Amino acid sequence: MRAVDIAGTALGNTMRSKTRTFLTVIAIVIGAFTLTLTSGLGAGINKYVDTMVSGFGEIDQISIMPGADATAQMPGSSGPVAYDPAEAQATGEFGMTMLTDEDIETIAQVEHLSNVEPVVFVAAEYLETADGDQFTLQSMDLPANAAALELAAGVKPARDAMEITIPETWLEIYGTEDPEAVLGETVTLGIKDLAQQVQTVDAEIVGVSQAAISGVGASPMPSSALNEELYGLQTSGLEVEQPQAYVQAVADVEDMAANEQSVKAALSEEGFMAMTVEDQLGVITGIIDTVTWVLNGFALIALLAASFGIVNTLLMSVQERTREIGLMKALGMSGGKVFGLFSMEAVMLGIMGSVIGVGLGVVVGLTGNAALVSGPLSGVAGLSLFAVDPMAIVLIVLLILVIAFLAGTMPAARAAKKDPIEALRYE
Amino acid sequence: MSAAVLETENLVKVYGRGESRFDALKGLTFEIRQGESVAIVGKSGSGKSTLMHLLALLDEPTAGVVAMNGRPVSQLKPAQVSELRNDTFGFVFQQFFLNASQTVLENVILPLKIAGVGTAERKRRGMEVLEQLDMADKAGNRATDLSGGQKQRACIARALINEPSVLFADEPTGNLDTATGEVVEDILFGLHRDRGITLVIVTHDDDLAARCQRRLLMQDGMIVADESGEAVRSAGASVGQTSREGSRRVGGHGKHAAPVVVDGPGLDEPGPDGPEAGPTAPGAATAGAAGQVENAGTTGEERA
Ligand SMILES: Nc1ncnc2c1ncn2[C@@H]1O[C@H](COP(=O)(O)OP(=O)(O)OP(=O)(O)O)[C@@H](O)[C@H]1O
Ligand SMILES: [Mg+2]
Repeated sequence: MRAVDIAGTALGNTMRSKTRTFLTVIAIVIGAFTLTLTSGLGAGINKYVDTMVSGFGEIDQISIMPGADATAQMPGSSGPVAYDPAEAQATGEFGMTMLTDEDIETIAQVEHLSNVEPVVFVAAEYLETADGDQFTLQSMDLPANAAALELAAGVKPARDAMEITIPETWLEIYGTEDPEAVLGETVTLGIKDLAQQVQTVDAEIVGVSQAAISGVGASPMPSSALNEELYGLQTSGLEVEQPQAYVQAVADVEDMAANEQSVKAALSEEGFMAMTVEDQLGVITGIIDTVTWVLNGFALIALLAASFGIVNTLLMSVQERTREIGLMKALGMSGGKVFGLFSMEAVMLGIMGSVIGVGLGVVVGLTGNAALVSGPLSGVAGLSLFAVDPMAIVLIVLLILVIAFLAGTMPAARAAKKDPIEALRYE
Repeated sequence: MSAAVLETENLVKVYGRGESRFDALKGLTFEIRQGESVAIVGKSGSGKSTLMHLLALLDEPTAGVVAMNGRPVSQLKPAQVSELRNDTFGFVFQQFFLNASQTVLENVILPLKIAGVGTAERKRRGMEVLEQLDMADKAGNRATDLSGGQKQRACIARALINEPSVLFADEPTGNLDTATGEVVEDILFGLHRDRGITLVIVTHDDDLAARCQRRLLMQDGMIVADESGEAVRSAGASVGQTSREGSRRVGGHGKHAAPVVVDGPGLDEPGPDGPEAGPTAPGAATAGAAGQVENAGTTGEERA
């Protein structure tokens, strides 16, 4: 029997009891659909992260944290430790090791690093427009996040200038919808010092940012110089000299591609931990991948259930067609070909289920993505929740075909083993 | 005399075991020659279909040898046996075994499909053979929509499509009225005459049996008579009469009996055992059979 005839006959046979085929295929469709959606979701979000990463591509920035001996920091995980004033000073509020000014100097010594800046958190009171309207500043972005900033207009705040960007949602304070219109406006920022006195600084709006899913760009972002100025004001006002401690520092790396490893090695030798933007996003990607795989796992369970549907359907089919199988064998069809015919039937079910399921998944994923991104999530720039990865689609279809084939082997082997005479006698 | 296509030696078939053990064939030795037409006759349950299935290589004997063209088939690989069945044999089974979901043409070309013949060629040959059997106008019908006789002809068409050199037919006229039965017979014997096909026909129909060159009368798993001659039909004799008058009883030959070849002893020449055979054929056959039951029993035990 030629392969085309086997395929044609198998297809014809699946069409014989349409209801049964339909129900079996539905089970496969559900699995294929879910798998397409979950893997598309992972691909979509990772694609979004990738766009963010490639947006940072040219930014040679690195974050530096105190070298974490994580276990030693866990409360209760070790016995009493002798008190060391020098170290105690560098311990932050949550028992985390912090960077001291000395550390910052040490880091600045490392080759290929420049513009080493501690990351400080500034809690400003208000932002005042030229007209004297004041708005609460709940939070401000870190200048270190400038790399990830997506702009609707203008430029990113320059490191050494007193500049700031505002998010698109703040345009209404100027009663406009045109982001270009606010560029060049001067604002006054108010901040309380340690003596609870409000101090002010002036800054120029140089850009309008879009909120990204990470939160970057959702609130005003000062330049480094402005941020430092504000921090200076925030920590002033008392006679006492405050020891400084920072969660992390950022620095520019000269020629990241060439020097990344040596910089990281040098920093780690000094007892620091360094992460590039890509490393940080890599962590995010890793989490997304994990979640995706958990979801895929559920889809695979659905497929596993569907495979038993295939086994069941084919076993019934083999039983019903005992005489037909006997006849084919009597007329000289080899056991191998009978096996081929029935496993081909399983594969046909797999093809129908996977094509319909994957097709549905792609359509639902794409329309759902379009609806969400242009609807409720339109504020997030460049967001994609679902992406079609042709490679993944091919893999899903192949996977389902393999599962279907495997599910078909048992019934097919049963059919192949049938003795023509017994089969012909079968009532 | 033409060469033997199929030979058997001491063919034994036992169904079941222990309590339910049933000896369906008890040591048969004979041969079927090229171009011969052989009828296997006998009462229901005497082992005719069982014998035919063994000859057609559909089943394996419990003991004994089936040889095809002088070569024991047990030496053949399963694939070779399948191929033999596919292109050398044609089958008409006791039941129709037509696939209800397919058209007549699709049913008929099944052996060619299995053989791997191309679509166009299959269709051409399918129509050709349907035309021969006056079934061309039914080619596109569902197989279930045919009358009994048409179904039988469809089965014959399927058996002939691969131009077999041996045709096995189990009750080819069993389901048919006399007239249609006659038509089917004419087709079979026409092929036998024109193409020299070897016919092995299992039948209850005396007329059909009488038209064959040779008749093997079976009883309780043994061949109790092997007779040749074609003139019986004109004499209007029944199979029972034939076996009394024109046969030689083979019951006493035992398991080492030489191939039973009885060369056309004409009707007028009574068999040597004739007088002892008693007044009726069944009686004679039973007597003969009784002699061999022991023989076959021993054989079965020896082989077990
Ligand atoms: N698979 C089987 N298991 C047990 N016994 C069987 C089996 N097949 C056939 N038999 C027995 O073998 C004997 C011969 O059967 P077979 O089908 O050869 O008869 P037959 O001569 O063709 O009869 P009929 O004219 O009714 O078709 C019967 O008694 C039957 O019951
Ligand atoms: Mg029978």
